[in-house]
Amino acid sequence: MNLLIDIIISGLISGSVFALLAIGFSLIFGVARIVNIAHTAFYMVAAYCIYVVTQRMGFHPLWGMVAAIVLVTLLGIISYKLFINPIREHHGAVLIATIALAMAFQEVMGIIFTGSYLSVPKLIKGYHVILGVKVFYQQLLTFGAALLILAGLWALLMRTKLGLAVRSTAQDREVANLMGINEARVAMATMGLSVGLAALTGAIVVPLTVLEPHMWMHPLVMMMAVVVLGGLGSLKGSFLGAYILGFAEALVVFLAPMGAFLKGSVALSIMILVLLIRPEGLFGVSFEEER
Amino acid sequence: MLLEVANLSVWYDKAMLINHLSMGIDTGELVSLVGPNGAGKSTLLRAITGLVAWEREITRRSTHGEIKLEGTVTFDGERIDQVPAHEIVKRGLILCPERRRPFREMSVLDNLMAGSYLLKDRDQVRDNLNKVYQLFPVLQDRPNQISGTLSGGEQQMLAIGRALMSKPKLLCIDEPSTGLAPLLRAEVFQKISGIHELGITVLLIEQEVSTVFKMTSRNYVLSSGKIIAEGTGDQLLQDEVLRKTYLGL
Repeated sequence: MNLLIDIIISGLISGSVFALLAIGFSLIFGVARIVNIAHTAFYMVAAYCIYVVTQRMGFHPLWGMVAAIVLVTLLGIISYKLFINPIREHHGAVLIATIALAMAFQEVMGIIFTGSYLSVPKLIKGYHVILGVKVFYQQLLTFGAALLILAGLWALLMRTKLGLAVRSTAQDREVANLMGINEARVAMATMGLSVGLAALTGAIVVPLTVLEPHMWMHPLVMMMAVVVLGGLGSLKGSFLGAYILGFAEALVVFLAPMGAFLKGSVALSIMILVLLIRPEGLFGVSFEEER
Repeated sequence: MLLEVANLSVWYDKAMLINHLSMGIDTGELVSLVGPNGAGKSTLLRAITGLVAWEREITRRSTHGEIKLEGTVTFDGERIDQVPAHEIVKRGLILCPERRRPFREMSVLDNLMAGSYLLKDRDQVRDNLNKVYQLFPVLQDRPNQISGTLSGGEQQMLAIGRALMSKPKLLCIDEPSTGLAPLLRAEVFQKISGIHELGITVLLIEQEVSTVFKMTSRNYVLSSGKIIAEGTGDQLLQDEVLRKTYLGL
């Protein structure tokens, strides 16, 4: 029974985190066909941002979160302007540029903070015992915040004019152009939104994890697996795929012997299986030939 | 002249798709652009609506071939050949593209709303929506249907409706009848006549010459990027060579 609750909590939390990451990643891919390998590196930078503001400067974690989201979103837009926008029509080059960007972030963080493991304080302390299992308030907060952010994103996409522009551009940017939608501006705004989501994810997750310069690797692999499972470019697919993988990971970690070491291989196995059996994923998007 | 194209040339790499072409449309006309496949009809409309220039900008940054554009396009007294594609619609010129191209995963209503993206005035948007619904009751019946699941004819209605949502002065339509059953074609043509009667100037590309010539006031025949004939339907049909060689009648 305890094990079941552990699995459910762990699955829900990692599922929500993967969902946030994968949806941000899918968003910029859908709109601008940018495969942003640096997506989780932005999440890592956000985590360090919070560390600096709380541990080094001594502010409340909430300020750390605000600073992280603002600064990392700015960093994302600047990176886009400088490194991605000039080569935007050259998809292979963009892919390489984002890998380089991720490595650069990792090395810079390594130089500043060394490779040692760091942590940040929880936003709320304490726990509640549910059926004999300790559930930390921070875990509940992370899960609640993730759902809230997803709902907010849904409203933004479906209920606002910016959302209409983002969806139209993702569908057919040439026709979006005809309708008066400035697709270059939409791409930049989407990049900001996408990186902002990565930062936000970092902000709500960092109290539950350990900081180190390579912390972007595991989420990157999971996020890629989620996106492949859900179908590249499909937000609905990313959402569902994230929870499927979140629970798959939790099951292996808690049930398989030495399961924690198998974490990464679960995602990769699912990824390979999906690519073999159904390459377009659960909700594969067929692309217009113009793209 | 509402639209005036002067000495326009378009190159894609070394291929000259439009060759020193000049043409024009007056307010209130319904004009067709006919000619064989590959004559440059679609390219002409894409050049007029800024898409060729847009494509030139994005290909400049990739490894694709070079696109060149020369000559002038004047709309409503202003030159628009240097205006970015996304700013052309607010001047009252819009293209309903080839193959309809609705935003397939969006609802009918969202498609129409995208058409009025630049309109700030909500009353104006509602007003346009009512007019489009009056013209195409089939869209009013299911605003929430995902547009990719509509039939071909319905998708064409949606594409035209979406273009009308911007309240254009000049509506360019590229091959609306392609891939439709004869009955639906007739309906589409009837709707286009209806739009023209509402006072909107229409420039129409169409393969189905015999039907189109009955609707239009003037027609241009295009071949190899040049206008080789111009006139009313009756005038053009009297020319034996033209009929056999270019119009396929």
